[in-house]
Amino acid sequence: MNNGFTRKASAILTYGFVGLMAFLSVFPFIWMLLGATNSSIDIIKGKILPGSALATNVSAFFTQVNAPLVFWNSAKIAILATVFTLAVSSLAGYGFEMFRSRHRDRIYSALLLTMMIPFAALMIPLFIMMGKAGLINTHFAVVLPTIGSAFIVFYFRQCTKAFPSELRDAAKVDGLKEWQIFLYIYVPVMRSTYAAAFIIVFMTAWNNYLWPLIVLQSNETKTITLVISSLASAYYPDYGVVMVGTILATLPTLAVFFFMQRQFVQGMLGSVK
Amino acid sequence: MDMRTYLPRFAAIALASASFLAVTAAEAKEITIWCWDPNFNVAIMKEAGARYSKSHPDVTFNIVDFAKADVEQKLQTGLSSGTADALPDIVLIEDYGAQKYLQSFPGAFAPLSGTVDYSGFAPYKVGLMTLDGQVYGMPFDSGVTGLYYRKDYLEQAGFKPEDMQNLTWDRFIEIGQQVEAKTGKKMMGFDPTDAGLVRIIMQSAGQWYFDKDGKANITGNAALKASLETVGKIMSSNIYKPAAGWADWVGTFTSGDVATVITGVWITGTVKAQPDQSGKWGVAPIPALSIDGATHASNLGGSSWYVLESSAEKAEAIDFLNEIYAKDVDFYQTILQDRGAVGSLLAARSGAAYGAADPFFGDEKVWQNFSDWLAKVPSVNYGVFTNEADTAVTAQLPALSQGMPVDDVLKAIDAEISGQIQ
Amino acid sequence: MALARRGGIGRYYNVNGWLFVAPALGLIALFMVYPILWSLWMSFQSGRGMMLKFAGFANIVRLWNDPVFIKALTNTMTYFVVQVPIMILLALILASLLNNPKLVGRGFFRTAIFLPCVTSLVAYSVLFKGMFALDGIVNSTLEAIGIIASPIPWLTHPFWAKVLVILAITWRWTGYNMIFYLAAMQNIDKSIYEVARIDGVPAWARFTHITIPLLKPVILFTTVISTIGTIQLFDEVYNLTEGKGGPSNATLTLSLYIYNLTFRFMPNFGYAATVSYVIVVLVALLACLQFFAARERDR
Repeated sequence: MNNGFTRKASAILTYGFVGLMAFLSVFPFIWMLLGATNSSIDIIKGKILPGSALATNVSAFFTQVNAPLVFWNSAKIAILATVFTLAVSSLAGYGFEMFRSRHRDRIYSALLLTMMIPFAALMIPLFIMMGKAGLINTHFAVVLPTIGSAFIVFYFRQCTKAFPSELRDAAKVDGLKEWQIFLYIYVPVMRSTYAAAFIIVFMTAWNNYLWPLIVLQSNETKTITLVISSLASAYYPDYGVVMVGTILATLPTLAVFFFMQRQFVQGMLGSVK
Repeated sequence: MDMRTYLPRFAAIALASASFLAVTAAEAKEITIWCWDPNFNVAIMKEAGARYSKSHPDVTFNIVDFAKADVEQKLQTGLSSGTADALPDIVLIEDYGAQKYLQSFPGAFAPLSGTVDYSGFAPYKVGLMTLDGQVYGMPFDSGVTGLYYRKDYLEQAGFKPEDMQNLTWDRFIEIGQQVEAKTGKKMMGFDPTDAGLVRIIMQSAGQWYFDKDGKANITGNAALKASLETVGKIMSSNIYKPAAGWADWVGTFTSGDVATVITGVWITGTVKAQPDQSGKWGVAPIPALSIDGATHASNLGGSSWYVLESSAEKAEAIDFLNEIYAKDVDFYQTILQDRGAVGSLLAARSGAAYGAADPFFGDEKVWQNFSDWLAKVPSVNYGVFTNEADTAVTAQLPALSQGMPVDDVLKAIDAEISGQIQ
Repeated sequence: MALARRGGIGRYYNVNGWLFVAPALGLIALFMVYPILWSLWMSFQSGRGMMLKFAGFANIVRLWNDPVFIKALTNTMTYFVVQVPIMILLALILASLLNNPKLVGRGFFRTAIFLPCVTSLVAYSVLFKGMFALDGIVNSTLEAIGIIASPIPWLTHPFWAKVLVILAITWRWTGYNMIFYLAAMQNIDKSIYEVARIDGVPAWARFTHITIPLLKPVILFTTVISTIGTIQLFDEVYNLTEGKGGPSNATLTLSLYIYNLTFRFMPNFGYAATVSYVIVVLVALLACLQFFAARERDR
């Protein structure tokens, strides 16, 4: 009897705690959705009920912002960064794990140290480099420095540890070259690893703020994150419009996450084996 | 057709079209401008560009809108990298930062002294963009300050508009206490992370964090001491509604929670953006200190346009600024009417818009008042370390509110500033 | 190994090995190592804007006499000491609760708790500023249910501003860490828990004596990643405090101070580079310490 009571109490506690955490995690999203339906003043006053200003806010957003162009810019940067980062990092992760040598292991340790470099320390030199290369105000300049990522290389190497070496041996016997093994066996087998990396890199690239801000110079090249920041910092910011902007800016990352959620969890699994 | 006759003709056509292309390329000039605030600076620059393009159809404008901090950051990165294509032709710089850029990046900005007649502008604006006898930049909007007050709240507390004229700060605080007692509204919004109010009060008595030579002037600065005392009194008498950051502060008056706003004239558009408050506002000169040199006129913010020396369109950019901002009185009437922008060209004051009565302010001639106060703003040297000094002042505001003696506060500010200025 | 290296196989092995890692190494060398060495060179110079002069160790001396730097360093360490353990523990507890297959709706709970990770730092800072305003939804809710009597000055009081920053980071990153733990828990043999339960080991003891030891490598990994993130903390504070790190420098971090030295104050790139090296050294030390501590406990 006592046991049943404790079990019930612990179930209530568990659901209460997990439910509260889930609510706190989701609440800002609800508030953002409500905000988009309210006028700027109601938002500042902390109104919690849905309002009637949604149409006004949406149309104000689309008149103030060249939305198709801005979203295209963000998408282009995020997709290019993701594709290149995944390609380069998975090659390296495969290379470091499959072809172990003392030299490469040492370099790998040094590589991990670069994770500790704060971006603030790189900004000025990177900008001067981009200026000399004539890449200022190009999306290329936004993408290039983000491709080589020690963290993603590390992630791929961890996951490669789980790659069955029998597959590779069998392929070698069949006379496949290393690049063929990588392309035709490793990549398909490691699908979910790629999916998890895709989510992480895509979100980082889509949400990136500081570096695009520095290298992009014109209205034609701006990303959605830059536009929101500029809307929110006017002398008289219209918070209804800002809310519409944040919702639209969050939708693509949300979509990517929901679309690839299953593979994401599986991919994470591989990294911690 | 014979190849021999064909070839020269072809070459001629090619040559002609090539030179034609070259001519159009040389003639079509695009001026790139960086500024912030789509409803104010950006909109005003678009108006200016449209006016100039009428007489100069070959010049087009590319006005790029970034957040203010972002413009400053991009400018500083671009200037440090030394790459000209990383910079615009014209950039908006807030007046507090002007000397910092002029002195840290010598040769980066084009001097306009030879072209622009600076005698037509408010002297304090010209002073802050002068370095070694050269004047850089085109004076733009003024941050001349005013005391915006809710007539309805004050009337409820027993005060008429006459009672709001030529106040001292002590009287202002007394009124604030009575307003709260009678209406339950706070007198003003105040952001303790922003030293703007300290700056307003200090400049109204003709002083700044730095003396005329740019040396830190803290412990012996009577105006700074008096303004810290005033802000301390405002905090200890609890007549303010605390705000965190700009938007929150704006919210204190757009939502009708406070009875007064003391800030630069550029806020007028924001005040007027609440149509339901029409007729309820009045504007008076800001309160004055009771020390030597105290006035009812001061300045907060305001900014000016600067032409980059590296600009490929330098000549056009300078001509554009000179034609519109230094000569076009009608332009200033339009931006005043449409955006509430008070420029610093003194001749603009004689225009029709400046004499007009504003129904939002109960048919007061607010613009005429502002431009009268503009001519009285004491000229000070903003120096190159205003942001550092501001940080040091805001760092001490909590201690001040907890009753730390003002002389100790000044010492602490001085200690932090000397650590920063190197 | 030694044998293989001498012959043709060894060369094949080496050529391929280097070819696979070369693109990543090249990019990281060009866009990380080269600029950071450039910064090192700058840290020995000082001056306004681009008028830099060689200054030897003057910048390092300046660090010790700079009260704002000391403040930024203490704040950063405070965030690290308080926030990282809270977040790691919270993520671990959530992961072990949500790992229970009998929990109804665990897929929903997992997704909900991970959701904050999809927001951009700019967007979530805008949201948090609105929610934690003096009259905002958080204060009015707390007042309504009687937890507080008067509104908490989240953004204007030095103590509460720090609390808000910690809340914000915890909101954004707990779910991210939780996913790593959930993934790792899939590898733990379920029967261990069954046996422990039958033996009457209480839930909390199962958590501390089975879950945590088995997850140690992942916990170490997430701790190091979180340490790196917290020591480099910038975006959140920048966006919540309008770039100032206020009130009265209470939320200022080292990265934000570097930003201020570079962009808000009279630009001094040399001194800013020196402060950024403090971060590099700090992170390296802490990461080594954590690896070392983990190894010690193994013995």
